[in-house]
Amino acid sequence: MTASAISRPGERDRLPVKLSQIDWRLAGLIALVGGAGAMMLYSVAGESWAPWAGNHLIRFSAVFLVMLGLALVDVRWWYAAAYPLYAIGLLLLVAVELFGETRMGATRWLDLGFTSLQPSEIMKLGIVLALARWYHGASAQEAKWHWKLIIPALMIAVPVVLVAHQPDLGTSLLILFTGVAIMFAAGLSWRIVLTGIAGVLVVAPMMYFFVLHDYQRARVDVLLNPEADQSGAGYHIIQSKIAIGSGGLLGRGYGLGSQSQLEFLPEKQTDFIFPTLAEEFGFLGAFFLLMIYGAIIAISLRIASLSHNHFGRLAAAGVTATFALYVLINGAMVMGLAPVVGVPMPLLSYGGTVMLTVMIGFGLIQSVRVHRYLELPKSRGVI
Amino acid sequence: MSDRSPIQFNEVNERQGSFLRRTFLLGGAALAGLGVLGARLAHLQLIDQRRYALAAVANRFNDRLQVAPRGLIVDRNGVMLAGNRPSFSVSVVRDVTPDLDATLDLIVRLLPDTAERRRRIIREVNAAPRFVPVPVKTDLSWEEFARVSLFVNELPGVLATMDEIRFYPFGGSFAHAVGYVAKINENDVEAVREEGEEPPAIYYHPGFRIGRVGIEKSLDEDLRGRPGYQRVEVDAEGRVRGEDPEGSRTAVPGEEIRLTLDADVQNRALEVFGEEAGGCVVMDVRSGDVLCLVSAPSFDPNLFVGGVPSSVYSAWADYERRPLLDKAIYGTFPPGSTFKMTTALALLDAGVDPSERVTCTGSYRYGSRTFRCWRRGGHGSMDMHNAIKNSCDTYFYHLCNRAGVDRIARVAETLGFGHTFALGISGQSAGTVPSTEWKRRYTEATSWDDDPTWYPGETLSVAIGQGALAVNALQLAVMTSRIANGRKAVRPHMVRSVGGVDRPREAFDDLPFPDQQLDIVRGGMAAVANDVTGTAYRASQLGLGDILMAGKTGTAQSRDYRDGESRGPRNAVWSRRDHALFVAFAPHDAPRYAISLIIQHAPAGGAADAAPRAREVMRTVLLKDPEMVARMQRRPEPEGPNPQGEELVQE
Repeated sequence: MTASAISRPGERDRLPVKLSQIDWRLAGLIALVGGAGAMMLYSVAGESWAPWAGNHLIRFSAVFLVMLGLALVDVRWWYAAAYPLYAIGLLLLVAVELFGETRMGATRWLDLGFTSLQPSEIMKLGIVLALARWYHGASAQEAKWHWKLIIPALMIAVPVVLVAHQPDLGTSLLILFTGVAIMFAAGLSWRIVLTGIAGVLVVAPMMYFFVLHDYQRARVDVLLNPEADQSGAGYHIIQSKIAIGSGGLLGRGYGLGSQSQLEFLPEKQTDFIFPTLAEEFGFLGAFFLLMIYGAIIAISLRIASLSHNHFGRLAAAGVTATFALYVLINGAMVMGLAPVVGVPMPLLSYGGTVMLTVMIGFGLIQSVRVHRYLELPKSRGVI
Repeated sequence: MSDRSPIQFNEVNERQGSFLRRTFLLGGAALAGLGVLGARLAHLQLIDQRRYALAAVANRFNDRLQVAPRGLIVDRNGVMLAGNRPSFSVSVVRDVTPDLDATLDLIVRLLPDTAERRRRIIREVNAAPRFVPVPVKTDLSWEEFARVSLFVNELPGVLATMDEIRFYPFGGSFAHAVGYVAKINENDVEAVREEGEEPPAIYYHPGFRIGRVGIEKSLDEDLRGRPGYQRVEVDAEGRVRGEDPEGSRTAVPGEEIRLTLDADVQNRALEVFGEEAGGCVVMDVRSGDVLCLVSAPSFDPNLFVGGVPSSVYSAWADYERRPLLDKAIYGTFPPGSTFKMTTALALLDAGVDPSERVTCTGSYRYGSRTFRCWRRGGHGSMDMHNAIKNSCDTYFYHLCNRAGVDRIARVAETLGFGHTFALGISGQSAGTVPSTEWKRRYTEATSWDDDPTWYPGETLSVAIGQGALAVNALQLAVMTSRIANGRKAVRPHMVRSVGGVDRPREAFDDLPFPDQQLDIVRGGMAAVANDVTGTAYRASQLGLGDILMAGKTGTAQSRDYRDGESRGPRNAVWSRRDHALFVAFAPHDAPRYAISLIIQHAPAGGAADAAPRAREVMRTVLLKDPEMVARMQRRPEPEGPNPQGEELVQE
């Protein structure tokens, strides 16, 4: 067969070729969401670049370049960094437990002098990479059901518990479900999956009564009946629904969302940025955004399936799972379908840390795509 | 495709295949999740949109209620009896006041009497929400207000505002009739709730007042008007961001109420009471208009508007002469001799010949009891005319059982006793008109072992206006009006028009008394006032040309007496003295006005105390009537009966 230029050995390692292999549709959709975020932040600041829109755009541009840069990093580097990153993340989580700064009742930060670090963010990436690497080395049978599966289970459970103890329920759920998604994608036996689901349904109410903190329990209560506590915990949900609902089909117009402009909607620049968009751009605008998120997820999953190495597949799937969870949890939260757990809308909300980790994740996905033909034999010979 | 590394294709296929399938599932789950979000979005934005849009508006707009200006109450000539006057106040808003101390320093310099309240003001300002104005001083004088307004630029966060408050220019004269307004309390809210409704939001406005007594109460809804509201846009903290003129509505002022009262007459009436307690009612005998409805002693209703200090209220409540009780319509008294016209009409109705004579010796024996006439030595031979003129008790003692108590009761009720009237204000007492039926019911209702039978001996007390008889000043005026009118059973009313629309009047019933009977009674009353030997002769001279008054005195034993103590006037203890009553109508040849006046626990008795005061009031009434004035000016002052003239007629 005629060897096309790109399939010649070494061709794929050349920079221009690599750049061409980046999924520019995906990058474009990501940039669209980031831009939408900047637009909304401009509006909620009262039509001003300060204090959020300007920063958001600058940061976004920077992490966008980071994403492109990471796309060029050979997937083997990712593979090599998997376990170390996970270990560092774990150590830092322990360090936070022991020395962490407590802010607003939660101990999530480590003060490094020049900056603050949130180890749970590192863990989101670390868990994906570590699980992907482990499963890369395991056979299909083992992935299905084997005593060795205790390892990935622990790899998930330990950080989840540590993070939940901070207490950061939102992030711990994110890590948990991401880990479970990877285990599922890797081939966990259906029997276990269904048992697990049944178990969750049993455990959840028990958790509600015995494990959850008071304020977390209150949040669940508020979810079921937000009107009962209108000025306290129910306030966020009620105001959020009002903001969304009053948008109607076409929205109230850019810059004209009264609920956010008049400060009825709290945290409108972070967790509740989506209702603001829904208020100003209506159903059409909000649904369009959901479709963009859907497209991003679909494209990312397709990239995952294209990869020739298992590590790449699972890593990409894991990152996508995390991203999808952000969107679904925040969306459910602001629409009153889930308790308020403090998960932002990725790339839309203002906030440097989440944006960075999300974009690093996309850098990984792009890298998986660019290097999709690579085979990683570092295992029992299975690609 | 080298054979170097053992690639297990089936493994590869299995792992890859399963991954593909499961990723597909995960992708499907994610998209399903997005679908759920989309559906929820649709639900909120398309189906429930209206509800949330309304909620958004409710969030965003506050309707600031404004109390409507309360309707004016004016007298028959348009003189204002209850109105609104501006009230200035100064408030502080913490949100806009950078330095509370400095601001208060300046305020204290401008309004020196706030100095002692300074600490309390600081506390109140800090306790209130940041953007709610806290009053520093209310009801400033115009000068103080002007001073503060001059410095308003140096006083950030200080508001000098003007409100309207209710104002009664005549104070005590109309305190009972017009009444007063006061702040809402829980009872008012409860009262509305008991009717199954929620009180309107305006009830909770700090400037809203509700009528408590008198016209202010009975016509409260007409006087209230409709509150206005100003729609302002607020943010989540309640700070005002802007106004929405389209959503605002101006207040509609309350209706103007025009009464039949006359301010001059009313003022004069309160004046003539001086320190005495009692009530006075003046009626137009043709229309039933009430020109005067006074209760003394009175109080200043202006104090209720802002809140009566409790010390003042206790002083009023504890004062023996009860300024808060309305003695024109609520307080009841035995009518005494003013009842004799009623008895006389009953006698005539029973067929007694008015020329029949009875000899009065000063005491009268009936059964085992001796009844006394007020004149120790007796009046001698009396016919009906003279019995009324001299107020002889014996005449009535002797003849009353020819009529019987039931007939007397019937005549009394026809003349208005025992009734309440659609006067225009509430709070009338019906009084008591004894009869056989009444006694039976009364003794049944009270569980005393009294005998329910009416004995004829009890009729004697009733005949002279004592016994269980209890009437109020209004009823006395009604009786007098009906006798004066002669044809119609006049009914009293106080309200002429509401909002410019005259109140409809029901036609009066006819009186059953034949003219001749009424003439005899009226003749007797004329003699009381104008015959030298009449009991009220000296006190009844109007001095208005040929306009003459006709009346009847009364001195009623009050019920507060201790056994054995000498009753009667001039007793040193106020509560033991007799009451003094006087009823009259004028002009006696073409009656226009009727008056009743009661002095509670009078120092000297009906003729000496009540009659001269009634005369003063009647003069005022007549002088305000242009037709009466014209009549006076037409005829020169005739030779009136000479006080020094004829000797007392001896019988």
